[in-house]
Amino acid sequence: MNLRVVAIGLKIPDNEAYTALVALRRAGVNAAKLERAVVWRVEDTGDAASFVERVEHNEAIFNPNKHTLTVLEGIVPRPGEVWVEEFVEGDDAKAYFGGKMIEGVTRAHRCVSWRLFDEDGAPAGTDVVQDAVDRLLCNPAIERATIG
Amino acid sequence: MRTLGSLPIAGCSDGEIRRLAQQHGLALRADELRTIADTLGRDPTVVEAHAFDAQWSEHCSYKSSRHHLKKLPTTGESVIIGPGEDSGVVALGEHNGERYGIVVAHESHNHPSQVVPFEGAATGIGGIVRDVLCMGAEIIAVADPLRFGRIDDTGSHQRYVAQSAVDGISAYGNAIGVPNIAGDLYFDERFDDNCLVNVVSLGLVKEPEIIHSHAPHDAAGWSIVLVGKATDPSGFGGASFSSVTLDAADEAANKGAVQVPDPFLKNVIIRASYRVFAYLRERGCTVGFKDLGAGGIMGCSAEICSAGGFGADIDLDRVNVAIPGLRPEVIAVGETQERLIWVLPPGVVDDVLRIYNDEFTLPLIAHNARAVVIGTVTEAKRYVLHHGGERVMDVDIDFLTGSIRDELPFVHKASTVTESGAQALGERAGDLMNVFVDVLSHRDVCSREPLYQRYDSVVRGRTVMPRSQGVAGVLAPIDDSVLAVALAVAGNPRYGKIDAHHAARHAVSFACAQVVAAGAAPVGLTDCLNFGNPRNTDHYSEFVAAVEGLAHAAHGLHLPFVSGNVSLYNESSSGTAVPASAIVSCIGTMRNVEGVITPGLKRAGSELFRIGTGGSHVGGTVVADLFGIDAALAPIDEGRERNDNAFLLAAIDRGLVRAARALGDGGLLAALAQMAFASPHFPNVGAVVTLASPVALFNEYGGYLVETDDARRLRDLAAEFEAGITSVGRTTPSPTIVLADGTEASLDHLYRSWRAPLVEVYG
Amino acid sequence: MNARVAVLVFPGTNSEDETLRLLRAFDLDADLVHWSRAHTLPAYGAYVLPGGFAYEDRIRAGAIAAHDPMMDHVIAGARSGKLVLGICNGAQIVLEAGLVPGTGAERTPTAAFTKNAPIPKFICKHVYVKLAIAPDRCAITAALPEGALIPAWAAHGEGRLAATDEHLDEIARGGHMAFVYAHEDGSTAPSATPNGSALGCAALTNIEGNVLAIMPHVERDAWNFNHPDRRAGTAMLAPSGGSLLFKSFAQAVRRL
Repeated sequence: MNLRVVAIGLKIPDNEAYTALVALRRAGVNAAKLERAVVWRVEDTGDAASFVERVEHNEAIFNPNKHTLTVLEGIVPRPGEVWVEEFVEGDDAKAYFGGKMIEGVTRAHRCVSWRLFDEDGAPAGTDVVQDAVDRLLCNPAIERATIG
Repeated sequence: MRTLGSLPIAGCSDGEIRRLAQQHGLALRADELRTIADTLGRDPTVVEAHAFDAQWSEHCSYKSSRHHLKKLPTTGESVIIGPGEDSGVVALGEHNGERYGIVVAHESHNHPSQVVPFEGAATGIGGIVRDVLCMGAEIIAVADPLRFGRIDDTGSHQRYVAQSAVDGISAYGNAIGVPNIAGDLYFDERFDDNCLVNVVSLGLVKEPEIIHSHAPHDAAGWSIVLVGKATDPSGFGGASFSSVTLDAADEAANKGAVQVPDPFLKNVIIRASYRVFAYLRERGCTVGFKDLGAGGIMGCSAEICSAGGFGADIDLDRVNVAIPGLRPEVIAVGETQERLIWVLPPGVVDDVLRIYNDEFTLPLIAHNARAVVIGTVTEAKRYVLHHGGERVMDVDIDFLTGSIRDELPFVHKASTVTESGAQALGERAGDLMNVFVDVLSHRDVCSREPLYQRYDSVVRGRTVMPRSQGVAGVLAPIDDSVLAVALAVAGNPRYGKIDAHHAARHAVSFACAQVVAAGAAPVGLTDCLNFGNPRNTDHYSEFVAAVEGLAHAAHGLHLPFVSGNVSLYNESSSGTAVPASAIVSCIGTMRNVEGVITPGLKRAGSELFRIGTGGSHVGGTVVADLFGIDAALAPIDEGRERNDNAFLLAAIDRGLVRAARALGDGGLLAALAQMAFASPHFPNVGAVVTLASPVALFNEYGGYLVETDDARRLRDLAAEFEAGITSVGRTTPSPTIVLADGTEASLDHLYRSWRAPLVEVYG
Repeated sequence: MNARVAVLVFPGTNSEDETLRLLRAFDLDADLVHWSRAHTLPAYGAYVLPGGFAYEDRIRAGAIAAHDPMMDHVIAGARSGKLVLGICNGAQIVLEAGLVPGTGAERTPTAAFTKNAPIPKFICKHVYVKLAIAPDRCAITAALPEGALIPAWAAHGEGRLAATDEHLDEIARGGHMAFVYAHEDGSTAPSATPNGSALGCAALTNIEGNVLAIMPHVERDAWNFNHPDRRAGTAMLAPSGGSLLFKSFAQAVRRL
C-alpha cells in the first residue's frame, strides 16, 4: 500500500482559472497568475511504474485531449499553493470515478489545487494565498483549505 | 498553389496509396484518392486530402445510404422544410395571426460516447442544438434514445458508459437550459462494444423567420463569419472516426477524435444568437447560418456556399485558434465544438461581431472565443483555402460536396422465424402474477426515473408533460398560446435482432402511438439509422430492409420523414454489430393544450379498454426474452393503426378518455401498472383485470390501454370508426391489481419491483 | 410609479425568460439586464436573480458570480432596502455574496447550498415548500397566508443547505429559514426534502427580511399546465400555485 499524489491539470486554456483570477483581482488579492489542478491523494496497491498508465486509463478523471498528469513528490501543498477539499465522509472515489475505479487504487481523496504566482512568476506568499482563500477560494461552511 | 507536402498519388500502386493514406491518417480508399487526383489533374495537397477524407466519409456524404433514403416519403401538408438542411420544420399552427413551425433534428453520437462517454454524450447534445439553432429557431427541447450493453458487472466499461453518458447529457443539457422531455432506454449484450447515444432536438420558429443553411441567392462577395470557441486540435478526424469500426487497441487515438464540450460557452452563444436573430429581423436581412459539425470549418463553409450555388475563399490565418502553430488541415477540418458559420451581407457584419464579442463578451467567456470574419462567398464555384500566405486548397466546390455514391451489395431475406410463440408462452408462463412481477422488473420495462431525474425537464417553464408523468413529452412552447407539441421516440432492439424490416415499422408505429396517447396528432417523423459496417452484406442488407420498413410505415400512416441521420460502422473489431436499430422520433401537435392526456389513472370505478388486439405473436417481447421463446414479430397493419389513432384522438376530443398509454415493452399489464403508478392518487387507484389470456396480457404490438368513465359512448364511437376495442377490466379504490385468475398484488409491492432495478445503477 | 425590476443575466444563466414572463404577468415593469450592462442596475428598485449556472459554477456554485460587478449594485441595493429575490442558482449567488443569512461580512458566506445528498447529483423533481416564518418577517412573503404551501420544481445538483452547527443554530433561531420542504398535504418530514438539506431548508431570508434566496423553481409551476396533478376543469393557461410567491413579490415591489 502506497500513498500517491497526482495532479491533473489542463493543457487546453483553463477558463476556470482565468475567471477565478479576474474575480480574485477584483476582490483585491494581489496575484498575477493562477493555476488550477485537481489533486488526487490515493492509496495504491499497484506498482509505481504502472501508476501513471493506470490513472491515464480512467476517462472519468483523465482525457488526453484536455489533461496533463503530474505525479507529485510531496504529500502537502507546495509554496504558493492551496488545496481546497470538501467535507466528505469516507471515500471520494465512488462519487467521482463513476463505476470505473483505477486498478489497484483502494481509496481516493479529491481536492482542488490553486497555485498563485506573483508578477515575477514566483510562488505567492502565504499571506496572499490566505487572502485568496478567505475571499474566494474556500467556503468554510463546506470546505477546508490547506495552505503550502 | 503550395505543392510541398502533396500526396504523390500519380504513378503509385493501390498498395502504395493505401500506405500513404495510412501515414496521413486518412480513411479514403485508394480508388477514391485516385479519383481525386485524376479530377484535380494533380496530386492533392495534404489539406485537400483531409478535406476530401472528411467530406467523402460516410458520415458527411451518406455515400452508401443516400440512394436508399430516397425511398422515404418526405412531403405532406405539415412539412415546411423536409430533409436536406440542417433540420426539418413542421407546421405547429397559428397564434396571433403568425404561423409557427417546429424545427426538428435527430443525430447519433455513438462512437464518441463509447470511447469517452461523458464528453461524447455531452457533445451529442451540443451538436444537435446547433442544428436547430441555425434554422433561426429557439431551442425548446431535447430527447435521448439510449442503448447500452450489459451493466450488471459493476466494474465493467459497459456500466461506466451507461452511467457516464447519462451524466454527460445531464451536465450539458441542464447547463444550456433546454428541457429534456422524452427518450427511451434499452440494454443488450450487442451494445457492449457499441453503445447508441441518439439525440433529438426541437426548436420553435415563426415561419417567415426561418434561416436557411445556404448562402442566399445574392450572396456573392458577402462575408463568411465564424462564431464560437477557439479552434483547437481536438476532434481532428472525427468524421472519419465515425465512419470506421471501433478498434479497442486505438484507445488514445479514439479519445483524441472526441471533442471537448463547453456548455457554458454554448449557453452564451445561443443567447447571443437569439439577439442576432432579432437584430437581423429589424434589418430585414436574409442570411445563411449553419452549424459546424463533421468536417469542421471546411465542411460547413463548403456546404453553406455550394448549396447557394457559390464558391468560398477562406483565410485560415484569420481563424481564432486556441494554441499557435496548428497545422492548416487541423484548422480546416478539426471538429472543435461550439462553433457556427454565418453568411452575412456587408452592412451588418460589424454589428453582428459587436453583439457576440462586446455585448455577450465571448472573448471573456472562454479563451479566445469570438466571432470573426474568415472569408468571402465567391461567384466562382471553387473552394479555396489560404494559410501562411499560400493557397493550400483550390478545388471545384461541387466536386468536394457533390453526392458521391457507393453501390454496395445487399440481399432481401425474410426472417426465418415464423412461429407466433403463443403456444410456447401458454406452456411456460405458469403463474401470471409471477410473470407480471418479472416483466415489471425487466431492464427494458423497469422505472427510468433514476435516469431521467438527472435531466432538467422543466427549465424554460413551458413543460406540460415531462417524462416523470408521461411517455411522450409535451410542451406549450408559445407564451399565452394553447398550441402544444408532443415528442416521443421508439426503436426496440429486441425486435431489431429478429427482423430489421418489421422492427423499423414497429418503431414508427410505437413513436406515433405514444404521441397519440398524449392527445396529439402526429405530423412528422425523424429517423436515425444505427447499423453495422455497410461492407458486410448481412449488416447492409439489414439497413436496406429497415429503410424499406420505415418507408412502408410512413406511407401507411401518411406521415413524412422531415429529418434524419445515418450512423453505420456500429460494430466492434470482432465483427459484432449492434442489433438493427432504426430509431424513430414522432412529432405531434395539439391545437389546444387543454386536451392533453396524462397516463395516470384518474379515479376508481372507471372502465379500462384496449384499443387494438395485438394479435397472437410474441416474438421480441419482454416475456419472450424472459422465457427464451424464439418467435416472429407481430405482423403490422398501418392502415388499421391509422384508423385506431384517429379513433383515439376523436375519443379524446369528445372527452371520453381520462387516461391513456400506448402499449409497448411488457404489454398490457406493464402499461396498466405504470398507469397506476403515475396516478395522482397512487397507490389508491387499483384495478381488476378480466382478460385472462397470457398472450393478450403480454404481447406488445399496437394499440392502447385507456381509462374511460363513459364506456357506452366509447363503444359507440369505436363502432363508428370500425375500431376494435376490448374490455380489459375496471379501476378500483383498492391499492391492488387483481388478475383474472384471482391472484392479487399490492401496488406498493409492484411499484417497488418496478422502481428498484435502475436505482443501483443511477442512484 | 412602481419601482422597476431587473432580472439579472450572468453568463450561464438559463431561466431568465420564464422568470421575466411571470414578473410581467403581475404587471411589474421588469427588464432583463445582461452582465455587460451592469452599470444600468442602480436605476432599479428590485433585483431578481434567476436560475442557471452562472459562470459555469466555477470554483463553487455562485462563487464567481458573487464577485461580478453586477453584484456590487445588488449588495449596495440590498443594504439600502431594495428587494432581492434569488432562485436556484440565483439563491446560491445571493448566499455566496453573504446577503443571506446575512450574519457574516459582505461576500463572506456563513453557509452554502451545496452538493445534494445522499446522491451528489442533479435532481429534477416536483416538490412543495411551506412558509416557515411569519409572512411579514420577509417583505417578499408578506402577502402570503401563514404556512402557505407552494408547489415548485426542484432542479439542482447543489441545493443542500450546509453550515457549521453554530451557523445552523443562528439560521434556525434568527428566523432565517423562510421555507422548508413539505409534502403535498403540508406535513414536513425528511422524506419531503429532495436533497438532504439541513433543517429541511428550501429558502433563506436575511435579518432585515428584504432578501429571499429560494432553491426550488416556483416559476416553473407558474401555470396550470406546469403542474403535475392538473384537476379537470382548470384552465391550463391560468396561473398555478407557484405564481403565488411572485404575486407576493409584486405586492412588495408596489409598496417600495
